[in-house]
Amino acid sequence: MPDDRQMEERQRASGHGGMEEQTTSARRSPRRPTRRRGLHRYRRVFQTFFLLAFFTLLTLTFWPLGSVFLGGFLLADPLLALTSLANGVLKWELLLAIPVLLSPLFLGRAFCGYVCPTGFLIELFGPRKERQAGPRVRTILRKIPLFGLVVVLFLLVFGSAVYLVFDPLSLLTRSATTLLYPAVDRALRLVGDIAYLAPPLRGTVDTVTETLTGRLLFPNGLAYRLQLVIFAMFVAILAISWIERRLWCRHLCPLGALLGLVGRKAIYGRVVDQSLCRSCEACTDVCPMDAIRDAGAATDCSRCQIGLECADTCPHGAIRWGRRPRKQHVHDPSRRALLKAGGVAFVGSLFLFTGLGRIQRDVFLIRPPGSRNELDFMATCARCAQCMKVCPTNVIQPAVLDAGWEGFFTPQMDYRRGYCDWTCNECGKVCPTQAIRSLSLAEKRRKVIGRAYIDHNTCIPWSEGRDCLVCQELCPVPEKAIILVSAGQGEGQGQGRGSGRAGLRLPRVVAERCIGCGVCQFSCPVPNEAAIRVRALEQTGFLSK
Amino acid sequence: MDRREFLTLWARWLLAAGTAALASSLAGCARLLRWSESQTRTGSFGGAETTTTLVVTGPENTSPSQTTPPPSGPASSEPVPTTTSTMDTVHPTYPDLAVIRGEAPDRNVRAALAALGGMERFVEPGANVVVKPNVLTGRLPEYAVTTNPLVVATIVTMCLEAGADRVTVLDYPTSSPRAAFKESGIAQAVAQAGGTVKYLTNRNFERVEIPGGVAIDSWPLVTDVLEADTFINVPIGKTHGLAGLTLAMKNLMGIMGDPRGRIHTDYPVKITDVNTRVVQHLVVLDAYRVLVRNGPTGGNLRDVAMPKTVVAGTSPVAVDAYGCTIMGWQPDQLPSLVEAERRGLGTLDLAKYTIFEGTA
Repeated sequence: MPDDRQMEERQRASGHGGMEEQTTSARRSPRRPTRRRGLHRYRRVFQTFFLLAFFTLLTLTFWPLGSVFLGGFLLADPLLALTSLANGVLKWELLLAIPVLLSPLFLGRAFCGYVCPTGFLIELFGPRKERQAGPRVRTILRKIPLFGLVVVLFLLVFGSAVYLVFDPLSLLTRSATTLLYPAVDRALRLVGDIAYLAPPLRGTVDTVTETLTGRLLFPNGLAYRLQLVIFAMFVAILAISWIERRLWCRHLCPLGALLGLVGRKAIYGRVVDQSLCRSCEACTDVCPMDAIRDAGAATDCSRCQIGLECADTCPHGAIRWGRRPRKQHVHDPSRRALLKAGGVAFVGSLFLFTGLGRIQRDVFLIRPPGSRNELDFMATCARCAQCMKVCPTNVIQPAVLDAGWEGFFTPQMDYRRGYCDWTCNECGKVCPTQAIRSLSLAEKRRKVIGRAYIDHNTCIPWSEGRDCLVCQELCPVPEKAIILVSAGQGEGQGQGRGSGRAGLRLPRVVAERCIGCGVCQFSCPVPNEAAIRVRALEQTGFLSK
Repeated sequence: MDRREFLTLWARWLLAAGTAALASSLAGCARLLRWSESQTRTGSFGGAETTTTLVVTGPENTSPSQTTPPPSGPASSEPVPTTTSTMDTVHPTYPDLAVIRGEAPDRNVRAALAALGGMERFVEPGANVVVKPNVLTGRLPEYAVTTNPLVVATIVTMCLEAGADRVTVLDYPTSSPRAAFKESGIAQAVAQAGGTVKYLTNRNFERVEIPGGVAIDSWPLVTDVLEADTFINVPIGKTHGLAGLTLAMKNLMGIMGDPRGRIHTDYPVKITDVNTRVVQHLVVLDAYRVLVRNGPTGGNLRDVAMPKTVVAGTSPVAVDAYGCTIMGWQPDQLPSLVEAERRGLGTLDLAKYTIFEGTA
């Protein structure tokens, strides 16, 4: 009910009619905000806490601490959970995602506003004041979330998790793993090297090195492929906030779209007391998610993150969080638009699934031990790089095109960089979707991920007639997968004794014993391309299992 | 220009000049430090000037063959190959080798060191000691792939008892270092004994000349070893595809930087080269458990034998020559030993050595 006396006072004061007092939202600055009580005042505190928690967990993701809970954020991510579920990966950790998925019914997209560390970084590096793209761009942008969800649904059904490249938590984990931690390692090593120049400091440097080795500091350093691409993607997501504030969160984020979909049916949310609202639109400017419609009266619940900046700004105290009325003021896309989106998504998905990359396998594409078969792997891998983070030898690297476009960022072994350590089974432990299954150490040591083959043209004994045998020396399997053959003589274990100078001994791989761990390839002294290389065994095809 | 422009210009030039001066002085300091490090440490090691004579018991006690005093000093640019000499009458007689059998590895080590004159012979008070066990890769001690942690711990303890300032235990494993040291039990054993484990990075290696080198003339080696007052080599006996056996001489590969895979070509000559360059003040061969098949990485308990022996000495050649017999080999069957003898690092004739054998 409008307050007549207030209206009269205003008219008297300004000398104008009430209607002309209505201003456009873009120019007007809000009045002094009236601070209210409520948890929303601590939104920044929550965000800081979750950002720190995220990085603490990620920093602790190293051998031998590997646990799936170190990827707690990824476990609670409903998009990842749905992917797991859709692929028959049933484990009770999936339940963690349920509260997050259902939270928009009561808290809107509070996950985005209070928890999501990527969202926090986007806000930190974005503009403080509201920015808007042009109206035509905005119309297009507003259609993307639902469209994107339809695409995700099709991909999910057809068995590709490639959309998880755009999941914000997967994105942040991947970016931090491939960019931040190598930089930290390099910086620590540089500081250590410089400090080492002063002999009195060496004891301290050694002690610090001892503590940090294998945790933040790696003797061989940390290096990853595709750093530029990952960096560009991360920066782009932050940078587009300068086109429209939190553009990523509002329009592009698939997890946001999913939560927004649930949020449309919000039971509790932003409530405007129509009797108090003067349609001054002070609230519309301050909303980080541009969720306010109808001159302040209505809310787009698929966006509202219950930050309640609007409530703090409202000079009339008309806004609060509460039970929403039955009749929702929500922007509904037309059925036609949905069908159009569905059509485009379907056709697009078909293109994806007829690519040659899906059925042809690169011979040197070795997946970490415990990985599912290639088709299932594509359908479950979150491209989050948790496995790369935990790997103590830095052997797990993002695939570029070795697994096709769809396999971009999925993990593969690079035996030029590292090898699969005999004492480690961490990657399966930390994989949030179990694309890499968790194996016990004994199981992992029996798991064949590839087979080593010796190139006689480059192998030193075979081609130069000189001794080498580094591969045989380091093969970790108890029954050695590399045996020694005496040149010109029969086979034997090669542990026999010559007198004085023994005859030339040549390495030979016993295929049945080789598990493809790559220590041989990594240690082979032939420069640049080892003479012994691990090749993949599995073949892919549409129907293979 | 006006006063302000003038001052700004001056300020800029001064800033530039100051930065340049700072940068060049820092570079100068760094160079200075580098230069000072490269200077070898002078000062004798000594340790042989005692008046007590050791009574040598055991079956090999025949003619009073005596050893030369241990190689002097950490000035490792002049290594002294250990040879037997009958000329020396001033120094007391220590056996060349001490071989102790017993159920407890730590007691074996203590008895062996006692027979050699005590750890005090090798470690001065305030000394900086480096111990190099074999931590090839992460295996439990039962697999006889890494040096027995009790042996390592006992050596660390004895060095500290002799007054060492600090005892650093290091190796350059072929797998993840933290995992290797942990799985082998050596990390924990050293920590309990009061030593420090050192994980090596690039800065710990420096290319050094090998003047006596035939196949290699220089190689990156761990600087801590070259700078230590006392370097103790603590290998474990294992078979090896290429070398036949890996004992004390081969254990030095763990202080060699990359690309150490190249050592495998012309291995006997190259490993001898390295052994001429690096002074080993004390060698303690852990033969409590040995790997007799599928070495050096093993992985099968069936491949492990238990001679329960420790062989200690000052010459890696002597230790290897005796040690290989424990594993059923003859010294002349190991090409690296043959080469070492040819180069004058020691004899392979065990009869020429004074060997103390005992039990503990």
